[in-house]
Amino acid sequence: MSTLTVSVKWQKKVFPAVEIDTAQSPYVFKCQLYDLTGVPPERQKIMVKGGLLKDDADWPKVGVKEGQRLMMMGTADEIIKAPEKGPLFAEDMPEEAQVVNVGHSAGLFNLGNTCYMNSTVQCLHSVPELKSALTNYPPSGAGNNVDQSSHQLTVATRDLFIELDKNAKPVAPMQFWMVLRKKYPQFGQLNNGAFMQQDAEECWTQLLYTLSLSLKSSSSSEEPDTVKALFGIEFVSRVHCTESGEESTERESVYSLKCHISQEVNHLHEGLKRGLKSELEKASPALGRSAIYVKDSRINDLPRYLTVQFVRFFWKRESNQKAKILRKVDYPLVLDVFDLCSDDLRKRLETPRQILRDEEGRKLGLKVDQKSSGSDTDVKMTDNEESANGNGGTSKDSSLEGKEVHLTGIYDLVAVLTHKGRSADSGHYVAWAKQENGKWIQFDDDNPIPQREEDITRLSGGGDWHMAYICMYKARLVAM
Amino acid sequence: MVKVGQAIAFAQEYAKRQSEDAPFDELMELVQQIVAFHMQHNAEPEAVDLLMEVEDLDLLVEHTDKTNFKRTCLYLNSSAKYLPGPDDTLVLDIAYMIYMKFEEFPRALQIALYLDNMQYVKQIFMTCHDLLQKKQFCYILARHGITFELDEEMCADDEEREGLQEIINNSKLSEGYLTLARDIEVMEPKSPEDIYKAHLLDGRASAGASMDSARQNLAATFVNAFVNAGFGQDKLMTVPSEASSGSSSTNWLYKNKEHGKTSAAASLGMILLWDVDSGLAQIDKYFHSTDTPVIAGALLGVGIVNCGVKNDCDPALALLAEYVDREDPATRIGAIMGLGLAYAGAQSEQIRSKLIPILNDAKASLDVIAFTAISLGLVYVGSCNEDIAQAIIFALMDRSESELGEPLTRLLPLGLGLLYLGKQESVEATAEVSKTFNEKIRKHCDMTLLSCAYAGTGNVLKVQHFLGQCAQHLEKGETFQGPAVLGIAMVAMAEELGLEMAIRSLEHLLQYGEQNIRKAVPLALGLLCISNPKVNVMDTLSRLSHDSDTEVAMAAIVSLGLIGAGTNNARIAGMLRNLSSYYYKEPSLLFCVRIAQGLVHLGKGLLTLSPYHSERFLLSPTALAGLVTLLHACLDMKAVILGKYHYILYFLVLAMQPRMLMTVDENLKALPVPVRVGQAVDVVGQAGRPKTITGFQTHTTPVLLSAGDRAELATEKYIPLSPILEGFVILKENPEYRDDQ
Repeated sequence: MSTLTVSVKWQKKVFPAVEIDTAQSPYVFKCQLYDLTGVPPERQKIMVKGGLLKDDADWPKVGVKEGQRLMMMGTADEIIKAPEKGPLFAEDMPEEAQVVNVGHSAGLFNLGNTCYMNSTVQCLHSVPELKSALTNYPPSGAGNNVDQSSHQLTVATRDLFIELDKNAKPVAPMQFWMVLRKKYPQFGQLNNGAFMQQDAEECWTQLLYTLSLSLKSSSSSEEPDTVKALFGIEFVSRVHCTESGEESTERESVYSLKCHISQEVNHLHEGLKRGLKSELEKASPALGRSAIYVKDSRINDLPRYLTVQFVRFFWKRESNQKAKILRKVDYPLVLDVFDLCSDDLRKRLETPRQILRDEEGRKLGLKVDQKSSGSDTDVKMTDNEESANGNGGTSKDSSLEGKEVHLTGIYDLVAVLTHKGRSADSGHYVAWAKQENGKWIQFDDDNPIPQREEDITRLSGGGDWHMAYICMYKARLVAM
Repeated sequence: MVKVGQAIAFAQEYAKRQSEDAPFDELMELVQQIVAFHMQHNAEPEAVDLLMEVEDLDLLVEHTDKTNFKRTCLYLNSSAKYLPGPDDTLVLDIAYMIYMKFEEFPRALQIALYLDNMQYVKQIFMTCHDLLQKKQFCYILARHGITFELDEEMCADDEEREGLQEIINNSKLSEGYLTLARDIEVMEPKSPEDIYKAHLLDGRASAGASMDSARQNLAATFVNAFVNAGFGQDKLMTVPSEASSGSSSTNWLYKNKEHGKTSAAASLGMILLWDVDSGLAQIDKYFHSTDTPVIAGALLGVGIVNCGVKNDCDPALALLAEYVDREDPATRIGAIMGLGLAYAGAQSEQIRSKLIPILNDAKASLDVIAFTAISLGLVYVGSCNEDIAQAIIFALMDRSESELGEPLTRLLPLGLGLLYLGKQESVEATAEVSKTFNEKIRKHCDMTLLSCAYAGTGNVLKVQHFLGQCAQHLEKGETFQGPAVLGIAMVAMAEELGLEMAIRSLEHLLQYGEQNIRKAVPLALGLLCISNPKVNVMDTLSRLSHDSDTEVAMAAIVSLGLIGAGTNNARIAGMLRNLSSYYYKEPSLLFCVRIAQGLVHLGKGLLTLSPYHSERFLLSPTALAGLVTLLHACLDMKAVILGKYHYILYFLVLAMQPRMLMTVDENLKALPVPVRVGQAVDVVGQAGRPKTITGFQTHTTPVLLSAGDRAELATEKYIPLSPILEGFVILKENPEYRDDQ
């Protein structure tokens, strides 16, 4: 029948004189502490020699001495409960879903000097419209006027595109390669028992040509000629003979603009302009002999994707190979082809361009309050202009459905195919493509490497580093 | 040259007479005269050399006086590092006697600690009658991290004794550390993003931030724990739960997956390091969780909070004891590891009796047994305890053939080795027994035991022995070369010259060694230069961090973190940032990069992992034990750190110490005074009064000390009670000081 006085330390507080009635069970003592601290007895942990104080312990056995300091642990806080739905971790996802996380599609294995093919495929793969057109391609084949090997190549392209989207790990384009060689035997050339390096431009042109044939004939696709709508450029040319004064107009459709490189060309724009003027010799009905005609071309219709080829290779007779011009030709991230267009097209472009300008102006004005409100839409972009098109690019396309979209003659760089080496049939081809999230990826065969945007324009030549061979620009659209 | 020649001539004559059994008397008489002359004429090193040659150092004591004893002892201390076998102890004994003779107690205490001679420590307490000095001794003991009970003989007054014991128990460590943090203005908590500094990288920063990656979240948990260690607040775990909408602590805990939650819950312990009162209060809520990994983490957290701090109520033991025998292995490991951390070096009988039965428990899983062995090794570090050694040996013998191949089994020999940490020959009997083990583990065990026993001795013969082991070509996938490489670092880290030589030897191993050696080399370099980023080592590790072998690269990355631990070294931080973008696609390597980033900013740059302190003279056994345990775990990074035992990283807490100089007044309150901090200069054997630091700057305490730094008071107003200005130093007013103004 005795009482002990102890002090109890709880968190940083000390309760100096707490009395223990040793006749009662420790539970009573805990209730006393409950009054002091508000911690329910069942959650109190009181440290005594050799362990915790049990509710039913015997005080004499616990051996608490007069004046001893006890320590109590426990909180009256809410107990932490696991959230009902745990977070989903990237590691739990199946491999396909992890692609989204990586932020870019897969690389392609080199099957032996097939980098020209890999880089072509990667560049074309970055065109979502082409992907969707291929997805709609009927598996049985249109049958009518497409030959078997073209059909096979189209199917193989479709399958390869799907593979690329599905995988995070590199893909081996076996099937595609086999079919490509079947369709175009020149790609199957052997040298010392190994397949030879080829010209990527040739591969690009041939592949697009095949696709244009097969996709045109397929009845299911909405547009009559998908490839032409996406890549086709229409020229109207005035052919003028200086001697006789004869004049005629020609129309032609091509899949790419050529940038001719000469001593004076330092910039893509100059090369393109030069390519529009050409001289040719042909029979003049008026003079009755062949005469020099000047051909002055203008773009009459623009595509969604503008392909520009740098004419870097020329046939060098003495070495018997396609030699390369190493001259540095700068190209911009944003290309305006307005002054290459015909008057007719210019007229059509006027209004959309005005709208685009207004829109951009608004965006710049808006930018200030957007930043202050901490919206993250612009954070990734460093360049004002870029943010406008980067956000616009994909999201606008989807949001503007229903309304009619118009071309503006302004194009953003989306893919570059580069070459490193001294001739077309040697060296290494690499694709640099802008992903839908606005990041640039260098697809070096099976190895995708992230790159900075400012490094992309450095691929303009002038050394032995990778230099642009084919550039693909995407149109900036406005709704009206 | 003449004087050296003299010592050699005497040595030859001495050896000759010894072999011929001729009398020495005549010779010794000469020696007496020469020594007396040297000692009076500032030529103490020559006198010591001569006496060492004729094996009669005892003579030295009587020749020392107030003017020359400091220089004499300094020479004795530094020559001890290069002496073989029993001679070094003998030399230090003499130094101890001389210090005691002139009542230079702090220095004497250092030697006593170096010799690990508790009898000497007791003697110092009994000889010294100044309470203030005793308090300073207690600070030195606390920094060394040993458990030491004062009794009535050492301090008669109860109240005073309690006060002293409180200092030894380190109960004010948290307070001092926070004072330092406030003074340097780094109290603001840092988030992992502040450390990653992804905005400095372009393009490559994670693209798909929408998805939580369990591995990256786990890395963030560790980074957060390391960076905010001891500050009591952070941005993930201690966020008040009222803000449950955003990123409350609960949410972050559950952003970790399964065993990741263990590390997350335990990280709270790291954040509240040394602050037992609020630490336990905050961890308490996890004890009531229904999730076993969370409970395991709470148990581990209790251990971490109590690491290096002792409390009369023994809360860690009271809380953890009942969980040790639970069914669930994860909970058991949490409790066992927690006990190991909280009572490292305590040699507590209660813990021994609690843990030994687990080793022989047939039902206990391998991981539980492995962690039990480590915890016992930590609690009884350097004790040569026979019972525990026996128990671990039996546990090793009981393992089946397949279990012996498991990476975790290799922690058992390590637990055994820790028992003999730094105890040199005492290991021999156990090493003999280990020769009877299954051949799978025999060599591994042998190397581990040897490396632990000779850790911090600088014994060149052992280094050679380990190098010899590394020269062998292995056919059967043995693992012993890993511990051998670590052994080189553990032995050679004792002093600066040996350390430089070891770094060069490791370079050779890197060039000629096979994969299992190469992957251990970065770790060994990490131990040699821990919290001391030497530029040449940094370059080597940076090169290895791009190695084509991922295991080598991972080890190199973690080691970059170790050498820069707590330094905020901008160069290493930059390297790691670039590595994080280089390895952005490889989760395991990225995890290592993150851990290393966390280590570099350990305690926001206020902490060190170096087990050496007191001007690199003393080696804290518990700190070394913690480091060695982590490094052994890193030998098989994939199975352990990247597997489900990532909480092994928390063993580093044993080595964490504030790298500060905190001056306090006679009432132990912080007292700001100006101090000069600069690179330490080796003044051994130099004539006159050479400067001890160079390139110094003057600061006001508390100040940070980097590796190789030394501080001295810039005012005459106070007299420090310890000649070594590190950690807590008590200042006493100088009675002879007169203010000039």
